[in-house]
Amino acid sequence: MSRFGAIFAEMTVAWRTFRRRRTAMMFTFIFPVLLVLIFGALIRTEPGEGGLFAEPAAYYLAGYLAVVVLFTPLSRISATTVRYREGNRFEKLASTPLTRSGWLFAHTVVTAVIVLISSLLILALIAALRIAPFPRAPAILPMIVLGVVLFAGIGAIIGRVAKTEDGAIAVANTIALPMLFLAETFVPPTMLPTWFLPIVAAMPLTYFTRGVRAAMENAGGWGGSFLVLAGLALLAFVLGALAIPEVE
Amino acid sequence: MEPAVAIEGVQKRYGETVALAGLDLELAVGEIFTLIGPNGAGKTTLVRTLTGTVQPDAGRVSIGGAIPGAIDRERLGVLPQAFSPPGRLTGREIVAYYAGLYDDPLPVDDVLAAVGMAEDADRWYDHLSGGQQRRICVGTALVNDPDVLVLDEPTTGIDPAGAQQLWTLLRELGDGGTTILMTTHDMTEAGAISDRVGILADGSLVATGTPAALIGDYGGASRLVVDLRGDPSDHLPAEFPWDSHYEDGSLHVTDLPAERISAVLAELDDRGIEYTSVAWTEPTLRDVFLAVADWEDEQRRPTRSTVPEAS
Repeated sequence: MSRFGAIFAEMTVAWRTFRRRRTAMMFTFIFPVLLVLIFGALIRTEPGEGGLFAEPAAYYLAGYLAVVVLFTPLSRISATTVRYREGNRFEKLASTPLTRSGWLFAHTVVTAVIVLISSLLILALIAALRIAPFPRAPAILPMIVLGVVLFAGIGAIIGRVAKTEDGAIAVANTIALPMLFLAETFVPPTMLPTWFLPIVAAMPLTYFTRGVRAAMENAGGWGGSFLVLAGLALLAFVLGALAIPEVE
Repeated sequence: MEPAVAIEGVQKRYGETVALAGLDLELAVGEIFTLIGPNGAGKTTLVRTLTGTVQPDAGRVSIGGAIPGAIDRERLGVLPQAFSPPGRLTGREIVAYYAGLYDDPLPVDDVLAAVGMAEDADRWYDHLSGGQQRRICVGTALVNDPDVLVLDEPTTGIDPAGAQQLWTLLRELGDGGTTILMTTHDMTEAGAISDRVGILADGSLVATGTPAALIGDYGGASRLVVDLRGDPSDHLPAEFPWDSHYEDGSLHVTDLPAERISAVLAELDDRGIEYTSVAWTEPTLRDVFLAVADWEDEQRRPTRSTVPEAS
């Protein structure tokens, strides 16, 4: 009973502090809008001519979602972990009924809500601008959540090793940026040299984009990616919870 | 009766540095025990050992008979050193947040009133003064009405009136059966609220006792300092009837009860020696701390690295 109450208290405070960090909130939601507008302009209207951004517009929906699923939890959780370390808050929490996994769960849930809002914004904007139809694939929802869990766990590990909040963001970006372009988000694997493909397969984000794309295309076959994503998410969450320190 | 807190032979090393060197301590239910000691003496390590956030290399710690990892966290209140709660919240929201972590917390308004923050509770935490922020932090440690309260320098930054209010509160909690272990660098605070004080140096508890007992054992004698006009040393005969000496224009009389001050001044008047000021001081915990810490430093210097390796 107390465990759920404690997690709810942590979720409440995490959501409240997010809402009150107006700059962070604004950029969290403006970022996907800019993304859609910029990539919408880059993507060619006549698909099939080869080169970058030459796939049908719907192909890139998974990429847009991957951007927020990757960056938001990675930067949010890593920076929050560092802030909690700097304020000796983990030492304080270690004396309360809230466990480290409970703490990470609470912040992951809040981050998932933020990412779901961002994702909805992206998909609605794309539909409104007639770039692509609004996808009717419920399987996207759990895949977004699993993606958030995966990168929240990695974010907690980054937050453990980074010395400062700025350092955490820098490490998060260093990990995220290459992954973004090597995970079948905006660059189709057919455009990559064959020796690159094992690297693509090693990217956790790949299974998110593959799964989401398969679900959107109603092609089935997203189950395999979903299972890999779920396994990676579970592993990252456990490692992330263990990485959260009790004392600085 | 089982002690509220029991520490037996606790050792902790960080590399070559000995943080705790085989420490033994028991706290009775409702006792207020204050640890004083120089920076780096091991106070925070001991606090963290008690709360389970640092594992000792050797020895045993128990709170209410349970090891720290197994203690009911509903019954423990902790204020870490240099703690700062999440920002962008009001004082009330912060206390309510920590209240929400427990099953049966005290009413938030009662906690805010107890730490003297009822009126300013709805201001942003970031906009409060340092002392007010610290009071909110103390409130977060009290909010679950703990049986054992561990406070690492709780009154740092709080003004004297606010500190006095917290001392009264802590005394009331102690009288109500809450066992309190705290650390401080404020000797007045240690003397004002503690049932017992322990002096920690180089990871060892080198002296423990009531403030009065420690002062009696280690504080030295009372001192009377009379600033004399001019240079009357020629008029001070060797057979002056108290333990005294003349130094830098002042007469220093040691181990003089307060009721004998007038006799000293009368003696000076009789001898025609004029004086400009008189100051009499009793020994305090500060004197105890300086005496014990210095002595301990002298004693330990050659053997500092001889603590046995933890098993």
